[in-house]
Amino acid sequence: MTKRSGRAAAGVAVALFVAGPAAAQDRQATPTYTAPVISDTGKLAGPRQPIFFRHDVHAGQDKIPCLYCHNTVTVSSEPGIPALQTCFGCHQMIAGSTPAHQAEIKKVREAWTAKKPPEWIRIHALPGFVRFPHMRHIKVLGTESCSTCHGDVRTMPQVHQFATLKMGWCINCHVQRQVSRDCTLCHY
Amino acid sequence: MDRRRFLTVLGATSGGAAALSACGIGPEPTEHLVPYIVPPEEQIPGTATYYATTCRECAAGCGLHAKVREGRVIKLEGNPESPINEGRLCSRGQAALQGLYNPDRVTEPMARGPNGEWQRLTWDEALGRLAAKVKDARGRGIVFVTGLETGSFGDLVDSWMKELGGRRVAYEPFAFEALREGNRLAFGTATVPFYDFANARYIMSFGADFMETWLSPVGYQNGFTRAHSFDGDRDAAMAKFVYVAPRLSLTGMSADEWIAAQPGTEGVLALAMAHVILSERLAPAPPDAARLRDGLATLAPEKVALFIGIDAKEIRRLAREFAGSKGGLAVAGGMAAQYATGAQIVADVNLLNYVAGQIGKTVKFGPNQALEGAGSFKAVTDLATDMGAGKVALLLVHGANPGHSLPAAFSQALGKVGYKVSFSSYLDESAAASDLVLPDLHPLEQWNDSRPRAGIYALQQPVMQPVFPNAMHAGDVLLRVAGRPGTFNDYLQSRWKELHQRFGKGRDFSEFWTDALQHGGLYGEAPSQPVRLGPGALETLAWAIGGNPAEQVTLIVFPSMALHDGRGANKPWLQELPDPVSKITWHGWVEVHPETAAKWQLANGDVLLLKSPHGAVRAPVWITPGVRPDVLAVPTGQGHKAYGRYAKDRSFNAFELLDDKPTAFGGRAFVVPVSVVKTGDHRRLATVEGDAREQGRGIIEALPLAQARGLKPGTHPFEEVEAPAYAEDALKQWAEAQHKQASLGNYAGTQPRWGMAIDLSKCTGCSACVTACYAENNLATVGEELVVRRRQMSWMRIERYYTGGEGKPVGAVVNPMLCQQCGNAPCEPVCPVYAAYHTPDGLNGQVYNRCVGTRYCANNCPYKVRYFNWYNFAEPGGEWESWPDPLNMLLNPDVTVREKGVMEKCTFCVQRIRGAQNRARLEDRGVRDGEITPACAQACPSEAIVFGDLHDKTSLVARLADDPRGYHVHAELNTKPAITYLARVVHRAAAEGGA
Repeated sequence: MTKRSGRAAAGVAVALFVAGPAAAQDRQATPTYTAPVISDTGKLAGPRQPIFFRHDVHAGQDKIPCLYCHNTVTVSSEPGIPALQTCFGCHQMIAGSTPAHQAEIKKVREAWTAKKPPEWIRIHALPGFVRFPHMRHIKVLGTESCSTCHGDVRTMPQVHQFATLKMGWCINCHVQRQVSRDCTLCHY
Repeated sequence: MDRRRFLTVLGATSGGAAALSACGIGPEPTEHLVPYIVPPEEQIPGTATYYATTCRECAAGCGLHAKVREGRVIKLEGNPESPINEGRLCSRGQAALQGLYNPDRVTEPMARGPNGEWQRLTWDEALGRLAAKVKDARGRGIVFVTGLETGSFGDLVDSWMKELGGRRVAYEPFAFEALREGNRLAFGTATVPFYDFANARYIMSFGADFMETWLSPVGYQNGFTRAHSFDGDRDAAMAKFVYVAPRLSLTGMSADEWIAAQPGTEGVLALAMAHVILSERLAPAPPDAARLRDGLATLAPEKVALFIGIDAKEIRRLAREFAGSKGGLAVAGGMAAQYATGAQIVADVNLLNYVAGQIGKTVKFGPNQALEGAGSFKAVTDLATDMGAGKVALLLVHGANPGHSLPAAFSQALGKVGYKVSFSSYLDESAAASDLVLPDLHPLEQWNDSRPRAGIYALQQPVMQPVFPNAMHAGDVLLRVAGRPGTFNDYLQSRWKELHQRFGKGRDFSEFWTDALQHGGLYGEAPSQPVRLGPGALETLAWAIGGNPAEQVTLIVFPSMALHDGRGANKPWLQELPDPVSKITWHGWVEVHPETAAKWQLANGDVLLLKSPHGAVRAPVWITPGVRPDVLAVPTGQGHKAYGRYAKDRSFNAFELLDDKPTAFGGRAFVVPVSVVKTGDHRRLATVEGDAREQGRGIIEALPLAQARGLKPGTHPFEEVEAPAYAEDALKQWAEAQHKQASLGNYAGTQPRWGMAIDLSKCTGCSACVTACYAENNLATVGEELVVRRRQMSWMRIERYYTGGEGKPVGAVVNPMLCQQCGNAPCEPVCPVYAAYHTPDGLNGQVYNRCVGTRYCANNCPYKVRYFNWYNFAEPGGEWESWPDPLNMLLNPDVTVREKGVMEKCTFCVQRIRGAQNRARLEDRGVRDGEITPACAQACPSEAIVFGDLHDKTSLVARLADDPRGYHVHAELNTKPAITYLARVVHRAAAEGGA
């Protein structure tokens, strides 16, 4: 139903431009990124999380693919929040190189020992009457397209909401890509 | 300033953000995402996982698929692999969910304190107390009362009782004692055979309500529709169904003929027919049937016609039709088995099958239903006597509630019992009267197994973590108190190791076990065994044939389809499910024939005081042509004194009218003489019925069989000229304009048009679809008061209309009425905010977040299938709260929970349509025909509902929509519905010339 035509492909380019140059699809072309040292976390955008998990270190500097942790995004409407086991799988061995990193990784290890998962503050939330099937969007836009809606988290020390996620913003993309904008596609 | 901007400003300036947020408009409160510590295997967030298990809501033992999302079971569906229900499920089975998440569950062990108050205990304390009491009571009478347990739990109880010198008493209020005893009398075997409805050519039911509570309702209804539905391509004509009973039940509504014989004479009718078959040599009877000849001679139709109240000619006709069909099936049960002579009547009906040569063909002994362990009423009354005599020191009750169904004898005798322990998950009458409550896990949370039918080993597995972690499997309790090692799961597996020896086929045990778990059990077929007339067969011919019995009012207590013996009464889905016959919700009623009502000057809702020799109840009148004039009928199920918020103090308990003494065959008589007093009180019935008659509106079309068989493919006899000639041009232009409007989205590719076909020759009105819709679409239950005010929210309703009367035979017809998804929908143009609109795939979309609640759409809907949220049914702690915690855990996360002020209606389960489209897209293919099944179609035991794409001419629904029997309801309004009803087909009653 969402066949890609020549015009639709042009739509992708427009969407990517809007999303910013950092959202380039080609992984090889991404320059090596070094996560900055953050001295004042108070100036960062977005809510403060129980653990200062740095997407820019994991996804940007270490180039861990988004799907490594959010692994159900290709098959389910839910991208999946990684289980504590996923964090601990690496951080059993990796203790961090700076005292700041070590302090945060220690929280992960303590949570694992206490069997008490961190309560992340949700940033991207849709109202209860909206359905967003992640898998269909990833199927069409590719597994590198997360930044289209979530911004380039590879450069975000602390994740903040990038797009408004309002209906007009959704519809813009659907109009550009000429896919259905029937109400009951998302509202039911 | 647009509407949205206005609201934003309002929120920011008036400090009303919190208030708005409470209405769901303002900013959402901070949400937290709590990850798993270790992700569960098999589960992907956002997608459902299915587990196979077994339904324990009645004795049938249907296979279940429990749909689990994020660790919570949210819907129960039939297991297609189970040979009992073949993927279908009734209302009661689906409502098991509301037992699991019931807000009135007992969450932890409790004991009576010195002043009668409940005290919480830890499990160690509770088990210690139980062990001490067991030790204390040894040798002084220990009795364990259970429901029907055909598997490991029952065996564990038996072995423990043997060890302690106690005994187990199984108690099911509807235990089919008459069937077992009747078969013993006729054939010398006290078993309940398998009735092969699907291969019957002529079905006669003597009171057996096989669509409601009789033996295996889902399976037998499925078989019945296979035989009784109309299929133009099929060689054999559709089977005829004759229903003999004093009251027209749900099962009776599907009958081609309803014969309201004098109550208690059903057996004589069967024997008179047997006489005709034997004397006219209508069927190749087994050789020993000749033994019956002399006994039957006194029961020739002419001699008994007056007694039964039916013409001798009619009896002869029925006998000839039954034998001539060469596939007759006569079943007895329900009311016919609940007289004091019930067993004899069952035996007589069996003899009718026997002389017609049908035993072994449509009645198969061998694959017997496992009811031997269902106990008998006599065993329970004996227990009550023992209890009253102080012979029981310790009484343990599990899975039974004799305090409700034996209100007098049992409840009084309970006081004489030394110590009473209940394993109930709810504080029902029996649990409330006990000293110690050890809450069991719900069947959906526990390991167990059962053997519902010979050859079938059904497994039960926990489909989720216990809702209340402080409940404990009664099997584990027994093992610990008995000092045995291991858990109940170990015990169960050790028993399955024996099955592994027999059925393992070389696989190792873990493979065998996993395989059985996946499929819901082991499904084998027991071979059919021949039976011969038993020594008692001749005795069952002895009937004292009097004249027409003296006129007296008889009261029949019949099992409620939804509430069963009362176990369903604390489930709001079942309380709000309109009774398929009376359409009454939330309370009981007494059925009165119009003539009787006229004689007594009664109106609907007048409250009568019904007095039997054993008790008295007050019941509101419901006047119906579906009952004999000399008979009153009341349903079981209501009138609980405890049990929970939905059940307590509601209406009357019909069991109070019944005799507590067993009949000669060890069962219970459900028929009593009553006297009737008008109280002068009146109440409004909580009914959802609009009109009792169809009034020629063309809502339900019916065809005689001969005419249906003559229909040519491609013809459409029901097609109406939908618009007058002068309006044709205007309508065409309007349709073109509308089409253009719909294509404005410039959508790529062609779109389907979703449609549905409902075969009224299959639909029985059983209402399984209604509960399925409640479960799938988060429909609110509104309670008795709002139903009285006609504010129920049932997207799918079953309309029942009576036919005949005034000299013509009385019958009833039904049709499921849901949103017709009109192609030219009256609801759409009147919506000022485009909340009701036409989707490109042909649905009448309803966008809840757009709806502002003008209700114009509902006013303009000719089918009256739109429902308005007058209150915030989802508000926690609100006055009209529908899902008090933890009932809210069963909400389907794929469907929006609507709030106050919003119109809602059937969407053809659009969430399932989108789900299937998503899956198909991931696999780079289109949606296949049959891939989308709405909840109603999925549950339907009759397979009457077919869904699919009308644009795909190869789809099943498109072919059915083109069937010559097809018609649209209110086609004259030019609404162009997407639902095609296929006309009901009837064998024309004999009075009108036969079929």
